[in-house]
Amino acid sequence: MIWLRKVFLYDGRSLREGKWDLLLEKGSVTKLVPSESNSLQEEDVFYDLEGLVACPGFVDLHAHLRDPGQIWREDIYSGSLAAAAGGFTHVVAMPNTTPAVDEPSIVRYVAEKGRVAGGARVLPSGTVTVKREGRRITEMIAMKEEGAVLFTDDGSPVISAKAMRIALLYLKDVGVPLMEHSEELSLSEGGQINEGRVSALCGLKGIPRSSEIIGVERAIRLCEETSGRLHLTHISTKEALEAIRRAKERGLPITCDVTPHHLLFDEETILHSAFSSSLKVNPPLRSGEDVEALWYGLKDGTIDAIATDHAPYHVDEKDVVFEAAAFGIASLECAVAAVIDRWNRRGRPFSKERIFELFSTGPGRVIGLERKLNLGSKADLTIIDLNLEGKVDVTNWKSKARITPYDGFTFKGWPVLTILEGKIVYNRLKEEVCHAM
Amino acid sequence: MPWKHSHLVDVDVFSEDDLYMVLEEACKMEEVMERPLKKVPALRGKVVANLFFEPSTRTRTSFELAEKFLSADVINWSASGSSVSKGESLQDTAKTIKAMGVDAVVVRNREVGTPEYLINKLSGTCIINAGDGARAHPTQALLDLYSAWRHFGDLRGRKMAIIGDILHSRVARSDIHAFSKMGVHVVVSGPRSLIPLHVFDLAEYEPDPKKAVEGADIVYALRIQRERQEEGLFPSIDEYHNRWGVKTELLRYAERNAIVMHPGPMNRGVEIESSVADGSRSLVLDQVRSGVAVRMALLFLYLAGGAGR
Repeated sequence: MIWLRKVFLYDGRSLREGKWDLLLEKGSVTKLVPSESNSLQEEDVFYDLEGLVACPGFVDLHAHLRDPGQIWREDIYSGSLAAAAGGFTHVVAMPNTTPAVDEPSIVRYVAEKGRVAGGARVLPSGTVTVKREGRRITEMIAMKEEGAVLFTDDGSPVISAKAMRIALLYLKDVGVPLMEHSEELSLSEGGQINEGRVSALCGLKGIPRSSEIIGVERAIRLCEETSGRLHLTHISTKEALEAIRRAKERGLPITCDVTPHHLLFDEETILHSAFSSSLKVNPPLRSGEDVEALWYGLKDGTIDAIATDHAPYHVDEKDVVFEAAAFGIASLECAVAAVIDRWNRRGRPFSKERIFELFSTGPGRVIGLERKLNLGSKADLTIIDLNLEGKVDVTNWKSKARITPYDGFTFKGWPVLTILEGKIVYNRLKEEVCHAM
Repeated sequence: MPWKHSHLVDVDVFSEDDLYMVLEEACKMEEVMERPLKKVPALRGKVVANLFFEPSTRTRTSFELAEKFLSADVINWSASGSSVSKGESLQDTAKTIKAMGVDAVVVRNREVGTPEYLINKLSGTCIINAGDGARAHPTQALLDLYSAWRHFGDLRGRKMAIIGDILHSRVARSDIHAFSKMGVHVVVSGPRSLIPLHVFDLAEYEPDPKKAVEGADIVYALRIQRERQEEGLFPSIDEYHNRWGVKTELLRYAERNAIVMHPGPMNRGVEIESSVADGSRSLVLDQVRSGVAVRMALLFLYLAGGAGR
């Protein structure tokens, strides 16, 4: 049993007035009282968290944990610990593993390993189609029973529109969303970076914006026709975002997320870094105008969640010339800090509640995971220190990734304590804040 | 004036003064080439590795000759390597070269950014870019500039039309930088499917080749790779040649004394008509000769700091 004392409280709806003390017992919040009225018992252990914010546990909808089959890049243990260190109590593992998570036994493998990993709870996802080949849909009902929280062929789109349509229909009765990585492959094939100013200047093959936009519009059309539950992941262009905005206005059951790297970097970053392979990612870093559009989408509510698309690789797969490098950015352990820091530097374009929402209740709603922090709630908490400054040092990561474009960045605003079902799974608080009376 | 650059990645970082320094140095090197004994001891005791991951007999030979005229010791490292492990083999090769202690690496690779990659991995070794992907080919641009400058003298206010596959051309990108810096008005032309969508960030674009060469002093034909047709980027060689091929008929629109350039090797009857390639306006062989002089000049500037010849 743990007392968290003197925290600001984001309960999943709003920041409550004043400071609060929370007692976590047997995995739940059993007491929730204003700090000034609280009198502690003698034997209580408490954390003095003056000035910090307690939020419902953060959820990452999109992380590549590479397990089974690619464990030189990451595995469920390292991924779970990395997620906890990044402030996440829950992380959805992408199913493009080897083999792909396309049948119930593999979902069970991920779920069971994830339950004992010791960091964030790892939530499995399954593929939409068998072997991600875009033909036959998977056993979604059985996979959901084993714990799959969403279905996606991520890494690529659901290649066939027909398979996607069938999946959207089928999933209506399963009650789990289809997450789409939107990309028209015939347009993006061979591309390295966004098609734009930078590709014109440097001759790297461009990935046209239309590749994503067509993918998003296709998915929206199928969602409209089937009313199936659709989640569009890692949106990077302003046109795709606008299409989603209009679809939501029509009342379609659509949600979407963006990544931290599309919020922090644009294509010019690639030139300035002299083609650092750490910035190679799909969808590619777009233009400054797109970055602005995404920040506006966070503000106006079009975007439901921020998801990392954490994509770790072995050094040998990234520390090569840009064109030879794998696509993907590793960020689980600094994603929250990166976004808070940039939100600060941009002059706080929206409330801090909104930031917390984008990492907790927002993604929670996408997969039906309740995120709130009231009396009796599950004790899943992320504690944020908005004033803590810290430098990203990839050599200390719990993730196996050792290459990230964030390495060396100093960010202000870090998660400092991650609690899953009442158990501390990550702690970077100073020792003196912990008191045993 | 000492040479202040340590590596040659692209010409975009050169000031006009830098460019003149290269041109003037190349003049002196051309004199060396005219001597009966074509050898100076400027780089005696220096080791240069020519690292060519892409087949290129012309550029490699030109560098090798330049290195030998300057008395450098030369290693030719033609990596055949499988295309799958290109990145890996580059990393290993870089480590090997570093261990051997060469003074300069001349590198040609399919992959954009190779020079910067090597600069990172081989601290202390001078890296000379002999072409990286579709991005830069600075020594080609400088030899083109040298040829045109020798022909015309001051280039300020002149017009250059570059015609062909701009999208995939490192020559075009580097030439645009080099000639623009010298005050040349550069216009590019070619089928839209072979032009970057954001070409306006690179140079002025004129779809009609006749208008592009109108009043031009330099007409530069780019080599067309036949794979581009196989990729479906243009329908046929005939259609390309008829509209964008540099022909006598097209040159009527250019200045009376206009010259024709091509980076070689030429596809006669495709991007350039034979009679133009071999005609009096063609500077193609001058370009080849200039290549050696300019590469000598660059090696001298980078490896001897432009002093103590």
